[in-house]
Amino acid sequence: MEDVKAYIESGILELYVLGDLSPEERLQVQDMASKHPAVKSELGEIEKSMVLYAEENAIEPAEELRHKILNSLVTNLADDRIFSSQPEPVKDNVVQMTAPKQNNFYKYAFAACLALLLASVVVLMNVYSKLQTANTQLIAMNNQNAQYAKTVSFMNDQLGVYRDTTFKIIKLKGMAKHTSSSMLVAFSHSKKKVMIDMADLALPENDQTHQYQLWAIVDKKPVSLGVFDKSSSDTSEMKVMAAVSEPQAFAVTIEPRGGSASPHLDQLVVSNL
Amino acid sequence: MTKRGKISLSEEELVHALRHKEKVAAEALYDMYSASLYGVIVRIITDTPTAEDVLQETFVKIWHSFASYSTDKGRLFTWMVNIARNLAIDKIRSKDFKNQNKNQELENNVTFIDEQRNTVYKPELLGIKDLVNTLKPEQKSILELVYFKGYTHVEAADELAIPLGTVKTRLRMGLIELRKYFNES
Repeated sequence: MEDVKAYIESGILELYVLGDLSPEERLQVQDMASKHPAVKSELGEIEKSMVLYAEENAIEPAEELRHKILNSLVTNLADDRIFSSQPEPVKDNVVQMTAPKQNNFYKYAFAACLALLLASVVVLMNVYSKLQTANTQLIAMNNQNAQYAKTVSFMNDQLGVYRDTTFKIIKLKGMAKHTSSSMLVAFSHSKKKVMIDMADLALPENDQTHQYQLWAIVDKKPVSLGVFDKSSSDTSEMKVMAAVSEPQAFAVTIEPRGGSASPHLDQLVVSNL
Repeated sequence: MTKRGKISLSEEELVHALRHKEKVAAEALYDMYSASLYGVIVRIITDTPTAEDVLQETFVKIWHSFASYSTDKGRLFTWMVNIARNLAIDKIRSKDFKNQNKNQELENNVTFIDEQRNTVYKPELLGIKDLVNTLKPEQKSILELVYFKGYTHVEAADELAIPLGTVKTRLRMGLIELRKYFNES
């Protein structure tokens, strides 16, 4: 027991508590403590006084430090325990499912766009050609329309001659050998205008070397009003002849082509003398 | 000071919870011992940010190397305070810390030296001053060196130019005085 007391009083137990011993000495102290209850209780007393001493000297660290330090411990806790025990097949599946799906979608979308583009090009070509035909048709119709308009206005003019009250319609009757012949001459006294109705020209056709010549009898003398032909075509016109002021009568003779200065009365065809 | 309810467990419960790395163990550990450990660290390292870093390192080390603690070796606090003291001493003797001090301006150095010599008035040390005053001067200086400054008893013997045996005896007498003081109060 004396040894134990000397051991306690050597001060080695205090150094043990202060952590100021070599590993061999520490083991020795632990060995002594397990063998001798007195050493163990003395160690307990020293430790207790060190705890109290530390508590007496305690300084509260800054409040925000608690959170910081606990976080660093708890983060490590999560690293060590939760992550290693977590299986992760569910996450894996999700990734594998979405990736190809997305690829397919874009592939199909691209194909659809291409098909749509081709289809619209075809339709556009179709519509364009239709538009072209419609345009040519429209131009043709416009031309036709213009022609009709021209014809209508021309006919209006012709009708106007008959409606115009200033025009007198004079019928020339066949003479001598030409009793079956006849023609109409329109004369406006106020406008000094003479026209012949080619549509109502009942004369035999003239040959290449001769032409019909229209004469007006003014003061008993014949005045040439110009030449005209009778052919199978060109029958719709009102032909305007030379102007004359006071005709007493009209006559038509057959003359050499180009007309004569004075009429050959033996060749008289029609007149209203 | 009572901004939140502090968690407190018996030492057995705490040791059990720490072995299983339960979250409540970390909180209880901090609430029960942070002030005591910080008190020790601050007396070795006067620079507050560095002392706070060492406190964090201490808790991280306790947390990770808890497997190496066994109740046969003694009380939990004894094990922890030695970790804190060793980390603090390592820090103050490390190259970084010495360089940091070398780089300080002359004015700052004066303050630093003053702090090292404990001549600066610190209200949190008021209670301890009273306590340490109940000790004889020679016991006090030994405790200061070994407990506050992290000296080994060999270094303390060198510093005070006294035999090793005397260091041990004075340390023991000082601790017995403390024991008496706590038993009285």
